[in-house]
Amino acid sequence: MKWNISKLKDLEHKIWRCTACGTCKVAYDYGPPTKSGEICPAGVEFGFEGFMSAKGKIAFARGILSGELEWDDELLDAIYKCNVCAGCANQCELDHKPYIPEIIEAMRRKAVEDGAGPMPTQKVIAQSMRDYDNPYQGPRRVRTDWTRPFKKAKQPIKDINKESAPMLFYVGCTGAYNLPVRDVPVATASIFQKLGLDFGILGEEEICCGSTLMRIGDAEGFKRAAESNLEKFKWLHENRGVNNIVTSCAGCYRAIKKDYTMCEDNDRMLEGITVIHTAELLNNLYKEGTLKLTGNLPWKVTYHDPCHTGRHLNKFKFDEDGSVAWKDAYLETSEEDCLYDIPRELLKAIPDIEFTEMDRIRANSYCCGGGGGVMTGYGDWATKNASLRIEEGMNTGAEHMVSICPFCHYNLNQGAQRIGSEMKLYDLTELIDRVL
Amino acid sequence: MHVRNEELILKELASIVGEKNATAAKHIRYAYSYDMSFVKPKLPDFVVMATTVEQIQKILTFANKEKIPVVPYTGGTNIGGLTIPERGGILLDLKRMDKIIKLDPEALVAVIEPGVTHAQLASALSKYNLRFGWPVGPPSSSVSSCAISHGIGGLNARYGLQSQEITSMEVVLPTGELVRAGSCAINPDAWHSVLPMPQMDGLFKGWLGGTGVVTKLGINVHHTPPILKIFTVSCDNVEDMYSYMLNLSNYEICDDLTGVSWWLAQVPIPYPYKPKPDSDPEWFSYATTYSFTEKEREAREEIWGMVLKEEQKKGTSIKETHYPEEALKARTQLPSQIVGTTKNYCKQGGGGISWPGTFTPANKWAPVYNKWKEILTGHNLSPSVRMSMYRGVHYGMLRAMIPFNKQSAEETENARRAIVECLKADLDGGGMPYKPPVDFATEINKRAHPGYLMLLKKIKKLLDPNDIMNPGKLGI
Repeated sequence: MKWNISKLKDLEHKIWRCTACGTCKVAYDYGPPTKSGEICPAGVEFGFEGFMSAKGKIAFARGILSGELEWDDELLDAIYKCNVCAGCANQCELDHKPYIPEIIEAMRRKAVEDGAGPMPTQKVIAQSMRDYDNPYQGPRRVRTDWTRPFKKAKQPIKDINKESAPMLFYVGCTGAYNLPVRDVPVATASIFQKLGLDFGILGEEEICCGSTLMRIGDAEGFKRAAESNLEKFKWLHENRGVNNIVTSCAGCYRAIKKDYTMCEDNDRMLEGITVIHTAELLNNLYKEGTLKLTGNLPWKVTYHDPCHTGRHLNKFKFDEDGSVAWKDAYLETSEEDCLYDIPRELLKAIPDIEFTEMDRIRANSYCCGGGGGVMTGYGDWATKNASLRIEEGMNTGAEHMVSICPFCHYNLNQGAQRIGSEMKLYDLTELIDRVL
Repeated sequence: MHVRNEELILKELASIVGEKNATAAKHIRYAYSYDMSFVKPKLPDFVVMATTVEQIQKILTFANKEKIPVVPYTGGTNIGGLTIPERGGILLDLKRMDKIIKLDPEALVAVIEPGVTHAQLASALSKYNLRFGWPVGPPSSSVSSCAISHGIGGLNARYGLQSQEITSMEVVLPTGELVRAGSCAINPDAWHSVLPMPQMDGLFKGWLGGTGVVTKLGINVHHTPPILKIFTVSCDNVEDMYSYMLNLSNYEICDDLTGVSWWLAQVPIPYPYKPKPDSDPEWFSYATTYSFTEKEREAREEIWGMVLKEEQKKGTSIKETHYPEEALKARTQLPSQIVGTTKNYCKQGGGGISWPGTFTPANKWAPVYNKWKEILTGHNLSPSVRMSMYRGVHYGMLRAMIPFNKQSAEETENARRAIVECLKADLDGGGMPYKPPVDFATEINKRAHPGYLMLLKKIKKLLDPNDIMNPGKLGI
């Protein structure tokens, strides 16, 4: 398959659209009321301008391209100390805005190509992907451990390799292998069963979406995983009647919805298939009246917007022929694909739940700190940053935080434990399952 | 710098601010080596992040002893290369000193550290329905740095420059001593006024970080009246616009009284130059007024209507007009990301923006603008000029925001030449540049009275005997 994955050099012109004005450094909303806050986890933790938001990363990119900066341990470390959360990109209004996460990842791809990257701990991910098709070094047979309660209850989940179903539940590696997060696929499958949906899983045949590799700059590894998945999805469509792929993982969702589109064959391979996040599916069913939230849950909760179901799904309008402004000018952002309202609508629909918002939400959500390879590369920092987000949640008076991303789930719970907070991060599916 | 020396200096700096907050790593230094201006990149030798006043004192004491240059840095958002180190040395990043130490909504005073951003202060003030004269800069820019550099903002017509809002300050001298100016010097809790004592705060305002590091700043803040009314007019030439602004400013009814040329009214500024359509007016003005009651607003409107009629009776081309919505928002909903990212300034140019930014007598605006137009169009650049009245006084800001393609050394140099040429024309007309890059400082000093230069040097020598503070920026 042919891919259009940019090299750093390809993005040079975009890199020079940055003015170094620094607007990207602060989450800001005029309001009224006016709100502001930190937006860059790396900036908060490390402080120097190079670490700070797009402004700093663009400086590194310029230096690398001009040859003024050469790979050494410290530079390498600096370009991986970023969650690629796109919070900075959300503040920017210049022509390179849509490309900011791409520029950061292109630097990492160059590091990998040049034999410098990724970070040593992240190399384990790449090796694990080669050995086990997942980043957790988990044997394939462990991938289905989370389904045991269903087997025990004599409600086994359909193996879509063998039986047809219109819907594939693409579980994702974090839900399958990361023990504290297994409640997410369990709750998801439980809801689907309660609703009588005809779905199946790939089980031990499921392989990683490749997102983690893409985030750390291993484009070749990512392409191998993605191509394998695209071929599998096409096979499932043609041979098992799959026309919906649903996932509860924000990372997988982002990868399939966005990263896979860099493959020229993507549309052909996914023809007849809709990719949807579980929250969106449940919201559709709720609106249809199929999903009835009958129980009650007298909890006070707040909601954390994952980067990968939020601003990473922004769609950008460009002046392609120069007829509006000038050729390739960035014109505007559409948030129509971002899952901001859907989880909130579902949460508010749960009887007796009390919902409260944090200051930094939606497009200005403060990253949990786990993404962009940081959880693997810099675990302590990832947890420390998650603690900051938990504290923000606690300041609202909420007892618990809800999200729709297994990565955020794990990291924020780690962050809560780090500061001894009783606040717990739940996946939206866990709450829905309780009241269904 | 000798390697051995470098190691020793870094070790000393790390012992003051902690190892994580001091570095000589090239990639970190590189990110401080340039800004959006035409000023050529230069690297500091070290970067340190201070978090306390005591740390700053120790850094400056050490730097003074070792004669190492120190460049204070907050947001790095100025467009004059003011924090690009001319002679290397220590880049002192103050962004982590970002506390709003005091906010008194009754006395209308805030005391802030240098790293407090406009976004942060706006957010804090909005809880009390208070405001400050927000500049058209990035929300991440520093309130303190803008104020001590005589920055401008959205309340200039009413209260004057940001520096005129300063009520007190605490400063670390280049030699490491901690000093205070204003009421806080007499009572540590009193931050209300720099008067009636000798105005020693003047030793640190407009010196481009050349005389010390301001560590605490008292500023006035103001109530936000609920009723906003913006009067917008347009006309065919700068002379008519000057006449209207002069007339309206006499009544002192505006928070901001600004005229912008057609090129600056575009979002973004056209780059390279493109001619204005013949049917469009050449000048627009927005006069921002806030009122507490409808009657007050009506009174302002009555005055404005009277001025408009008077100007029309004179035979000028002034007429009430519609001002582009996004541009109007960008100039009234401040701090603003639209102007913050300089979207309306340099988006089309790409990467670069600089200016001849000046305080110029109002009666020279028209001739200087006409000269600038000739110079700028001659360099294929837009004459994107702004004129703003200060505090009802008949002088104010005259500046041209000049975007350029920073990827191209040739286009950058073209912009630099045009801007310096514009600056010379303004100096000849009696104007003075603010936040000036070194190229401007050189031009100022060429024209300066010998007594001014002597005094400047004497004060600099007195406060900074080893010339360590942001050396080279004053062109002396």
